[in-house]
Amino acid sequence: MTTVTDNAKKKQIDELREAARPCFQCGICASSCPVFRVAPDVNPRLAVDSIVSTGQVAEQGNEWLCAYCLMCDQRCPMGISLADILIKLKNISSAEGKAPSSVVQAVESLFTTGIIAPGSTGVDRKRSQLGLPELPKPNPEHIEKLFRATGAMEILEKNLAKEGSAQ
Amino acid sequence: MTTSEHADGDSVEVAEPEVVSGTDEVRIGVFPCMCGKNIGAVVDIEAIAEFSKSLPGVVFVQTNRYTCADPGQKEIQEAIKEHNLNRVVVASCSPTMHEDTFRKTVKAAGLNPYLCVMANIREHVSWVHAHEPELATVKAKELVSMSVAKAMTLEAQPELDVPVTQAAMVVGAGVAGMQASLDLAEAGFKVHLIERQPTIGGIMAILDKVFPQNDCSICILGPKMVDVAKHPNINLITMAEVDEISGYVGNFNVRVKQRARYVDIEKCTVCGDCVEVCPVDVPSRTDQNLTWKKAISIPFPQAVPSSYYIDTDACLGMDLIRCGKCIDKCEQEAIVPSDRDKIIEFKVGVIILATGFSPADPNKIPRLGWGRYPNVITTLEFERLINAAGPTEGHLVKPSDLTKPGSIAIAQCVGSRNLSTRTGCSNYCCAESVKCALLIKEHYPDTEVTIYYQDLRMHGKYFEDQYLKAREEGIMFVRGRVGEIQQYPDTKNLRVSVEDTTHNQLVMKDYDMVILSMGAEGTAGDFPLPISCTSDSFYIESHPKLRPVDTSSAGVFICGGAESPKDIRDSVIQASAAAGRAAIILQKGRYPIEALSARIMQEKCNRCGTCVNRCPYGAIVVDGTGKHTVMGALCQACGSCAGDCPQGAIYMPNFTDQQIEAQIEMALKEDAAGKIVAFACAFCSYRGSDLAGVSRMQYPTNARVIRAMCSGRFHVKFAQKAFELGAGAVLYSGCHLPADCHFQSGNHWMAKREPRIRRWMKRNNIDDDRFRVEWVSAGEGKKWQGIMTQMSEVAEKNREASLAAAKPKKKPVSKKSTKAKAATKKKPKKPTEKKHSRK
Repeated sequence: MTTVTDNAKKKQIDELREAARPCFQCGICASSCPVFRVAPDVNPRLAVDSIVSTGQVAEQGNEWLCAYCLMCDQRCPMGISLADILIKLKNISSAEGKAPSSVVQAVESLFTTGIIAPGSTGVDRKRSQLGLPELPKPNPEHIEKLFRATGAMEILEKNLAKEGSAQ
Repeated sequence: MTTSEHADGDSVEVAEPEVVSGTDEVRIGVFPCMCGKNIGAVVDIEAIAEFSKSLPGVVFVQTNRYTCADPGQKEIQEAIKEHNLNRVVVASCSPTMHEDTFRKTVKAAGLNPYLCVMANIREHVSWVHAHEPELATVKAKELVSMSVAKAMTLEAQPELDVPVTQAAMVVGAGVAGMQASLDLAEAGFKVHLIERQPTIGGIMAILDKVFPQNDCSICILGPKMVDVAKHPNINLITMAEVDEISGYVGNFNVRVKQRARYVDIEKCTVCGDCVEVCPVDVPSRTDQNLTWKKAISIPFPQAVPSSYYIDTDACLGMDLIRCGKCIDKCEQEAIVPSDRDKIIEFKVGVIILATGFSPADPNKIPRLGWGRYPNVITTLEFERLINAAGPTEGHLVKPSDLTKPGSIAIAQCVGSRNLSTRTGCSNYCCAESVKCALLIKEHYPDTEVTIYYQDLRMHGKYFEDQYLKAREEGIMFVRGRVGEIQQYPDTKNLRVSVEDTTHNQLVMKDYDMVILSMGAEGTAGDFPLPISCTSDSFYIESHPKLRPVDTSSAGVFICGGAESPKDIRDSVIQASAAAGRAAIILQKGRYPIEALSARIMQEKCNRCGTCVNRCPYGAIVVDGTGKHTVMGALCQACGSCAGDCPQGAIYMPNFTDQQIEAQIEMALKEDAAGKIVAFACAFCSYRGSDLAGVSRMQYPTNARVIRAMCSGRFHVKFAQKAFELGAGAVLYSGCHLPADCHFQSGNHWMAKREPRIRRWMKRNNIDDDRFRVEWVSAGEGKKWQGIMTQMSEVAEKNREASLAAAKPKKKPVSKKSTKAKAATKKKPKKPTEKKHSRK
């Protein structure tokens, strides 16, 4: 039943594997990664190693910590785009409904209000003090259209369902 | 055969070479061989013999059990004399196997060796069609008739050679160039040694100690430098660069430009008085810009020639108005303000390139902070700091405050193994760094030294001992490449970030000093001779394994760091190898010219210049009047020029247009629509087809292989001719792209012709799948079998279609004018037009 998505996932992983193939595990990415300095679990080198050597995603969830600073991309001696690989890992994991709740909340907020982080009353007050107009309210229909067109809808629903069942 | 008037001419113009026997009548002898059961068990050799007698020009036929054995060879020689034969066709194994044997056989009988040709009825017939004896015999007959047709127009080729000037030029006087010069000079040859810098010695002269024994570098190099200076056979030219080279192996005319030194080498006693009065300070190149030198200086005390030189960019002026202090001071009157740049010209027979490499540029790796952080230094800077003759007299200090560093990190693979600098490993840096670490420990045992490496490649003799010693000395080895270096602004100390990949841990450690283990950068490519270079500017050898110091240009050799990054020992080994190879040419005194080299038929040439561009050896020259000629000594006979000559004005001996077209005609005489005409290059594809034979890989019998030296020879018109004669399928096969071609670029030129052939096919309504371009290596017998099998199906389909269509109606001949003879043959093929496939 799940073969279609499994195949799609396998294909995606295979693509990543090809992209990561030149990696010779020098560790320049890890030593340049600002996230690795504070979160020793997030090792971009091991993320790539795991894909190349086992075809598996290492410790799912860690890819969500990547700050996308592109330092690893910039310095990789073999020209591998690690940030790109991590983004694709995020896509795979979210398609499986495994996005962390903070990300799901942000997307939900985007869907319902059109804004990722809801504005606070403080912000509204400040804007009126400064004589700025109120923040525009996006049309929910437009947002829904976009969500459906890009497939984001499906992914969001899946993640919400997963979260609901977990609770 | 040698004639002196040919010998000193640049090319040999032979429009119609004379036939040795002197008779106009072609008298061909055919010698079918049974090769024991190898051929005899499948092919009916007697039938071949009988058939051969009927061929035009054949006057004598003799079968033999083993033609290549002594009695067989003797029979050929006797037949040549008895029957006055002037062409010999041996129908036996592959020419790859025995062409040379039989050429020698006929030569011994007084016939020109190039008047002998083979028909391959073993690898191409009996071994690959073992189960179809009748069809195999038919094929063997046709192969013999193809060879006889070729033999009809074979011409004697002169075996010439050119005299060799018994002198060599060595470019670059680092340790490799010095070794090569000394070897050749010792062997008794005159050597012109050209060096760009004011002293010889190269990079080795500025090192402190050299691994793996850690002996003093200048102590072992210094005496060698003196040997070079003193050797009567060596003409040392420093501060000079090669400006221009013309000629060819044995006869290179060299023009060298020597910069003015402004100091008379003979008079200068290196007393140092001039330096004391010179008011100008310039950064010292020898000391890696860590200190100053004067505008008049000597690179280092042991320099050869032992003389000062004036840096004109820095000098205020060599007259008493502007400065002139050194002139005033020099008691020897050695300073020559009137000195000017000089042009030196000489002739040499061989050239050895020992131009070396340059250390990688640390500016290209900004994350490591070299140039911004004073305490980040390169290995060469370290060599000068630890060297007793260096700026600090051997005291290792931090450049920021001149205090002794307590902890030092060494970062490996800087400038190497990186797509943005150089992808290759630089070979010497691992051992170099271990040596540096040991030197530090030797001078200051309480210093903490850590080497950050990715893969420690201690591959050489004694290297592992040194690594063990380093471990025993307490040097730390951490696997992981340095990510970045940051500096503490107040102390100028450094923080190194690296992932310890063995423990998957981030290491951020403070060091007083960091040494960057710099790799090598190639410097090849700006030399006035067309020697091909790798993408990272190192010279490419003629063959990576079997001819590692030869280049594609005959008489030009490479050694040392110019060929690839290497250490001193390897450089010296390679230099001696290059000198040995060069001495072979010099010693003989004469160099044989490729007998089958191309010649331009001036009456047909319209001087378009296409051939000049095709030749990978620069062998085709244009004189002042626009006349194109081939320099026989440079030509390697690939035929790429002839393959694209629009006028058909290039004569390729033994592979002439006429001969190849005669083979095509004979191959397609019977049942053309079902045949494959396969063109194969001699080095890869033909050997691949031979391998299919040796491996007894069976395939259909309809292929007729035509051999040429290189796929670059396959002119568009050969495929057109084959199709016009109704061939079922045509194959052009060469060495694999991009780099397998034995003549460097022939396969590229052949590949470029494919679209032209396909466009022509489309215009003439020939199915696209009937023409194929394939790359088959000498190891791909299986692939050859596969291609033959697939193409046979195409040809078979074509034959059926043409047979079916031949009956109902006649199609008019295509607009393209074709020979009347061809037209009759072509008829069956035309109806296939209807179902031609467009992609």
